[in-house]
Amino acid sequence: MAVRVVAAAPLLALVVTSAQQPPPPSVRYEQHVFAGGNPPPAGTLENPLAGDKRAAADGEKLFSAFNCDGCHALGAVGGQGPSLADGRWRYGGADGAIFQSIYYGRPRGMPAFGGVLPPEAIWRLVTYLQTLTPATDPATVSW
Amino acid sequence: MIASTLLVVILAQSATPDQWTMPAKDYSATRYSALAQINASNVRRLRATWSFSTGVLAGHEGQPLVVNQTMYVVTPYPNVLYAFDLTQEGYPLRWKYRPNVDAVAIGMACCDVVNRGAFFADGKIVYNLLDGHTVAIDAATGKQVWNTQVADIRQGESTPMAPLVVRDRVIVGTAGGEYGVRGWVKGLDLATGRILWTAYNAGPDAEVLARPETFKPFYDTGPSLGEKTWPPDGWKHGGAPVWGWLSYDPALDLFYYGTGNPAPYNAEQRPGDNKWATSVLARRPADGALVWAYQFTPADNWDYDSVQEMILADLKVKGRTRKVLVHFDKNGFAYTIDRATGEVLVAEPYVVVNWAKRVDLKTGRPEVDPAKLTGASRGSVKDICPTLEGGKNQQPAAYSPRTGLFYVPTNNMCMDYQTTPTTYIVGTPFIGLNAPYKPGPGGNLGALIAWNAAAGKQVWAIREKYPVWSGALATAGGLVFYGTLDGWFKAVDAKTGSALWKFKVGSGVVGNPITFTGPDGKQYLAVYAGIGGDWALLAGDVRSDDPADVRPPLSVMPDIARHTSLGGIVWLFAL
Ligand code: HEC
Repeated sequence: MAVRVVAAAPLLALVVTSAQQPPPPSVRYEQHVFAGGNPPPAGTLENPLAGDKRAAADGEKLFSAFNCDGCHALGAVGGQGPSLADGRWRYGGADGAIFQSIYYGRPRGMPAFGGVLPPEAIWRLVTYLQTLTPATDPATVSW
Repeated sequence: MIASTLLVVILAQSATPDQWTMPAKDYSATRYSALAQINASNVRRLRATWSFSTGVLAGHEGQPLVVNQTMYVVTPYPNVLYAFDLTQEGYPLRWKYRPNVDAVAIGMACCDVVNRGAFFADGKIVYNLLDGHTVAIDAATGKQVWNTQVADIRQGESTPMAPLVVRDRVIVGTAGGEYGVRGWVKGLDLATGRILWTAYNAGPDAEVLARPETFKPFYDTGPSLGEKTWPPDGWKHGGAPVWGWLSYDPALDLFYYGTGNPAPYNAEQRPGDNKWATSVLARRPADGALVWAYQFTPADNWDYDSVQEMILADLKVKGRTRKVLVHFDKNGFAYTIDRATGEVLVAEPYVVVNWAKRVDLKTGRPEVDPAKLTGASRGSVKDICPTLEGGKNQQPAAYSPRTGLFYVPTNNMCMDYQTTPTTYIVGTPFIGLNAPYKPGPGGNLGALIAWNAAAGKQVWAIREKYPVWSGALATAGGLVFYGTLDGWFKAVDAKTGSALWKFKVGSGVVGNPITFTGPDGKQYLAVYAGIGGDWALLAGDVRSDDPADVRPPLSVMPDIARHTSLGGIVWLFAL
């Protein structure tokens, strides 16, 4: 991957360009389902930054800078978008699946950020989200 | 004259107590019914007679309509419209209308995919789809008469509000204060759905429809207030949305509505008063012309939207009978305002308020406590009351001309407020906020209160464990009805507030009760069960429909999920 270290300044640069770039296309889902029904090679995409603490920290900043937290809440615990911090996934939690969710968007209200964020930035977001493992098993609540 | 006949029809329609043809019962938005069959002495015998699952789990705000022995129910997204035949046993459907609503709207609705109801006019049921369309459906057949795109969901505009119909004009507004939209109201032709005028809430006078010959605000002077009270271009993404309730005075021919917060939350990004966000606006329905406007919270620092209902009443204020509108703002003050001029007659706190000491009636401005001002450079500002949920949110109050009292669902919570600088990205939230809530003084998170709007005084209060998120209904039977987040539907005495009856409806109540006369001549009550309506408040631990979305409880309501989960049900009650 070309971008290894994303410090504060490049982060800001990303934010600034985003303001000029076209918005995340909130298209109807059928418009980005793939020809012939073949899934994109999601299963094989691997996070080049997996486990990288600095990448995760950058991802956390991006999560605010690109207004992900406005929909998924601070700490990604869920807002109008689902919780991304519960270790459970509607569309899969594998590297490639999370990447695809952010890159292409998802039908029930997740904008596609592929046109706004370069893949390196999306991998940083994926890395951040993968650090959000729930502390305890959330399955049981008792009073 | 066609116009005057129509007016008579409209007035007659809202005057009959047997039906419920518009969201708030009448143009004055009183939510008062003259029906008195169910009263304080027999309400203990009230029992559930019918229920129906809407098949939708989101927050069921709003209320049904009852017209011509038919009950109409609009669900939250995907905004199905049901028409129940009240003349037959079990109330089977006459028809059901299923619009094709863009799922993108789920991400663009800040606060759950709610719908606040429909309006019956000229044989049509008129309501908004969440994705920015207004539809008119033939009330008899369920066939779509027209479908107009009014808002652009891709810009973060969405349409959860209930339209207001005046003569041949349908008036709708856009939500999206959390997405940096530029708020507006539009006037559509009732017959065709054609958009006839658009009035922005901020920007140049020409687009705000503030013409010098018609626009006479009581306190403010000078041109282009909607532009000059913002940094250059700030108004273009400045919010001021319209997602609450509208009312109308036929004698003055003015309709009233409140606007939401300015965007973004970080006030340092938008120095100025930010007019006309957090304001009440009075416009003419025919052409949208602005006649007066008043801003409740200049330079809003706390997300104090003002979209709550404006209830019209004639009250004796300081010895003089005045035509007023009464408004319970998110900012915690209850305002009694001359509805012809916009002069504030009374402004008193109806919940615990500490961001301002008082409202100066000479200038109309609040005296803000500088220690409670927020902004990115101020870090986390502690203990601000009320929270951004408001002393009251959208859940509408009721007014009984019999008791002269307003019945107000309220919240009792305070917050810390920390904003961060945000970048505007189209179609994503323009917020930047961390604001944890805490219980207000006394520990109860809500109350239903009775309010004397002439004096600006509370008369009684019923403390509730949770925020009261349902609307209120007052009846000539001397009763007030409301629901609670833990799923109780309650009747209390309108004079004293004493508890008379309650029933557990299966899910938290965030809808608004109505009442009507059935084909059998009996008085019925209808209310939705179905908790939801605000993700910031309902942490979502009440949901069980998604194995891949498990949320922690909210700190102020750690046990709400013990008492309720999601579920949309229409309930009917009778003696
Ligand atoms: C406009 C609101 C909105 C914004 C902004 C937003 N999301 Fe989402 N997101 C959603 C919604 C709604 C869903 C659920 C979509 C669905 O179920 O089809 C979702 C789904 C997802 C998923 C898939 C979750 C799963 O369980 O499989 C991921 C991952 C995700 N978002 C990450 C992000 C990231 C990272 C950002 C910022 C770059 C972001 N989102 C910004 C609303 C949003």
